[in-house]
Amino acid sequence: MPVVSMTVNGNSVSGEVEGRTLLVQFLREHLRLTGTHVGCDTSQCGCCTVHIDGKGMKSCSVLALACNGSSITTIEGVAVDGKLHPMQQAFHEHHGLQCGFCTPGMIMSALDMVRRKGNDLDEHTVREQLEGNLCRCTGYHNIVKAIQAGAAAMKGDATPATQHD
Amino acid sequence: MSDSAISTRIGEPVRRKEDLHFLTGKGVFSDDVSLPRQAYAVIARSPHAHARIRGIKTAATLAVPGVVMVLSGDDLRADGLKPIAHMPTSTHHAETALVNSDGSEIFTAPRYALAIDKVRNVGEAVAMIIADSVAAAKDGAEALEVDYEILPSVTATVAAAEPDAPRVWDEARSNVCMDAQVGDPEATETAFASAAHVVKLETWAQRVTGVTMEPRAAVCEFDAATQRYTLYTASGGAVRLKEDVAHVLGIASKAVRVVMEDMGGNFGTRGEVYPEFILVAWAARRAGRPVKWTCERSEAFVSDYQGRDLAVTAELALDAQGNFLAMRGSNIGNAGSHTVSFAPLKKGLGIMSSIYRVPAAHFRARSVVSNTMSTRPYRSAGRPEVIYVMERLIDLAARKGNFDRAEIRRRNLLSEAELPYTNQFHMTYDNGAYHKVMEEALTLANWQGFERRRIDARKRGKRRGIGVANYVDTSTGAPRERAEIIVHPEGKIDVVIGVTENGQGHETSFAQLITEWLGVPADDVRLIDGDTDIVKVGGGAHGGRGMRMASLVIWNASKQIIEKGTRIAARMLECDPSSIRFDSARFIVEGTQRTVGLFEVAAAAGQLKDLPDDLHGSLSACSEEIHHVASFPYGTHVCEVEVDPELGIVDIVGYTAVDDVGRAINPLLIHGQVHGGIAQGAGQALLEQCHYESETGQLLSGSLMDYALPRADNFPFFKTGISEVPSTTHPLGIRPAGESGTTPALGVVVNAVVDAVAEFGVRHIEMPMTPERVWRAINGKQPPSSVSTSR
Repeated sequence: MPVVSMTVNGNSVSGEVEGRTLLVQFLREHLRLTGTHVGCDTSQCGCCTVHIDGKGMKSCSVLALACNGSSITTIEGVAVDGKLHPMQQAFHEHHGLQCGFCTPGMIMSALDMVRRKGNDLDEHTVREQLEGNLCRCTGYHNIVKAIQAGAAAMKGDATPATQHD
Repeated sequence: MSDSAISTRIGEPVRRKEDLHFLTGKGVFSDDVSLPRQAYAVIARSPHAHARIRGIKTAATLAVPGVVMVLSGDDLRADGLKPIAHMPTSTHHAETALVNSDGSEIFTAPRYALAIDKVRNVGEAVAMIIADSVAAAKDGAEALEVDYEILPSVTATVAAAEPDAPRVWDEARSNVCMDAQVGDPEATETAFASAAHVVKLETWAQRVTGVTMEPRAAVCEFDAATQRYTLYTASGGAVRLKEDVAHVLGIASKAVRVVMEDMGGNFGTRGEVYPEFILVAWAARRAGRPVKWTCERSEAFVSDYQGRDLAVTAELALDAQGNFLAMRGSNIGNAGSHTVSFAPLKKGLGIMSSIYRVPAAHFRARSVVSNTMSTRPYRSAGRPEVIYVMERLIDLAARKGNFDRAEIRRRNLLSEAELPYTNQFHMTYDNGAYHKVMEEALTLANWQGFERRRIDARKRGKRRGIGVANYVDTSTGAPRERAEIIVHPEGKIDVVIGVTENGQGHETSFAQLITEWLGVPADDVRLIDGDTDIVKVGGGAHGGRGMRMASLVIWNASKQIIEKGTRIAARMLECDPSSIRFDSARFIVEGTQRTVGLFEVAAAAGQLKDLPDDLHGSLSACSEEIHHVASFPYGTHVCEVEVDPELGIVDIVGYTAVDDVGRAINPLLIHGQVHGGIAQGAGQALLEQCHYESETGQLLSGSLMDYALPRADNFPFFKTGISEVPSTTHPLGIRPAGESGTTPALGVVVNAVVDAVAEFGVRHIEMPMTPERVWRAINGKQPPSSVSTSR
């Protein structure tokens, strides 16, 4: 089987994978990084969103082999030294999660949103940009509030949107 | 992170303790659990709605590299596995059991974990393929040869009730497995005969599904030495699941241990045992290694229990002033292929007249089986459907009789003086300030100022509408619950309870009860709810029972902790127990400076040699309660929409809710529950449907590409208000909040949309109110029969 090598959350990793192995399977099953979730089979739910070379991507729609040499950040790599990232803190403060299953994907998408759209996010923008992330618990209300607050808190915060880009 | 500096008492919007591990990717959901040497199961499912299994050939499957075993219904029968112990007719004390009006027995369908001779819905489990990898098991499933004789099928609710409908169960007299009547037919006929106005609605609260974001998964290991099964999964209740699995396997329930960690959503969808949970246990023993199964989303659409699906014909009679005189009609609930639960039909019927004064009523209630996935309670089982019907009838009556929609509700809404009130369906409501809450919601939504907003919208080419709906919800559920509180000398408290956490935030809200009653900060409280080797009793999370039942047993156990602690403290402080009071985690000798802390007392319980038996050891207490009375949450929602008359697209532009929770333990979490509940209700009103193709019984809405789940841009920010009128049927006044958002949302959204397009002569639109349906309604175009969705 071919070997794939990449950097995940700052660590160099490699492993043997089948050609059909998806990045999300490599992360979850080979590396046991189970914070990245699988919520569907049609690339709709966004629970598996990670950052590949700094950009938000659904890891269910990328082959592991296609990420050879890439730098990946998963939800496990967002907090540094046990200190929550401002976006994570905003989700906590605004009760932006209930069952917690969509949460890693939401946070990875939110960070990507800030990268693309900046720190001043209006409600309309956040809702439009969340097109690719589904939640069944919150009615999105507190997720939208959390992302707006998290984006604002990241302004002037030294923590980059993605730690290991 | 620590909240210890701020109060974590009852009523505080405490940030959740459980967040940290979810936010950092450390949640442990079912598929995150893997065991050494595990094999993987894939389920081969029926592609047909109704068929006889003539035979299954497994040779090609067994030849696939990596496949270790195939199990079918024949193996299941050979091993003596029993049918699953669904309890469709189980009825809470506060509810009236439905019985067949001809005195015959209600038909309940036997359900095996794998189909025995016939399949009765697309997706029914036919065989299980065990392999060294998921991919190999999938390849094996593809190679499986099942010889089916296709039989005629029926999926639609009204059609299934017809005498000549294809028969789902030969063992039953017809597809109608229950046919009950409630109310007084003569009084109702008399009232209708004298009515000035009668309005009628024929409608279908369509089939939807829970779509918990986490698909189900389970892994089980069998220990040959101890003959015990350990099942790692997630479900609405650990104890019931343990008993259900043991029952099917024909073993003592102590031979099964269920371990549940995090659960990615429930909503009732995951509130009952599933065949796959039993199959992995059975297969683990047969294979001699752990077996894991993970559901895929498209598989979840055909195999998760579905919800709603109630066909209703209802009439409301009024006098010339708009007073309600009577209601009558017929409800048909679609149970699906197997009779898993009649609860939605029964619970809905019980509150058919909502919180209005309806002096006479008569309804027929039928449950039918059909060639669809079985249904069971889904967020607020049965109540959103009937509240939708009642609130639609009221709006129809208002238009017909030219009554103001708020005024006609005020006129008929029960007053505080009339409570407690027993409705014509034998449900007795506790108490509440129904009028006050309605006025608060109308004010919060600026109902008075609406006409100006309607005119503004028209200038922009939109049609703006507003709707209002009152509701009542019945909180019953499993009546038995138990809590154990253990005070550890190192400063921590454990709470062991059978109410299961599915995302509600119990780790925080239950801990707040401990702060309130024992004075210990929430951060120092640990909740244990998911391991049946520790949790022996308890009913799980459903029916709004979580906080209601948990608070009762935690309260009683807390009082025992204080009582025991007082007696120990008296020994330590050398005084009489009667001179000690407990405050903020300290035992204090009245009128002195002498005190001892709760945790010091816990340490003393283990150290003092001469304590009586009931005090010696650990400072702990247990409470087990059976609570047979219901609470009735209620409230008022107001929805405002804009419709694009050219395209039929509906935008929800305002949504206001005021819900009475009796006593708010954590308002932050309550608002969150209401937000999510609104989205699920509005999702049904506008977007969602499990669409079965009527000719073939195929599920056409079988993926997230086809099933329209609400997204962030479907909603505005919601305005939610909390009312706190303590319930008289709960010692602490608590009414549940988890179903409040959903219960009135169907009706209020439809009322708002119909109001927006009423000028085009529209009097009703069926759910889901897709742009096509709204456009057709505006333009007076009925759908061609081939695309009409039969109910």
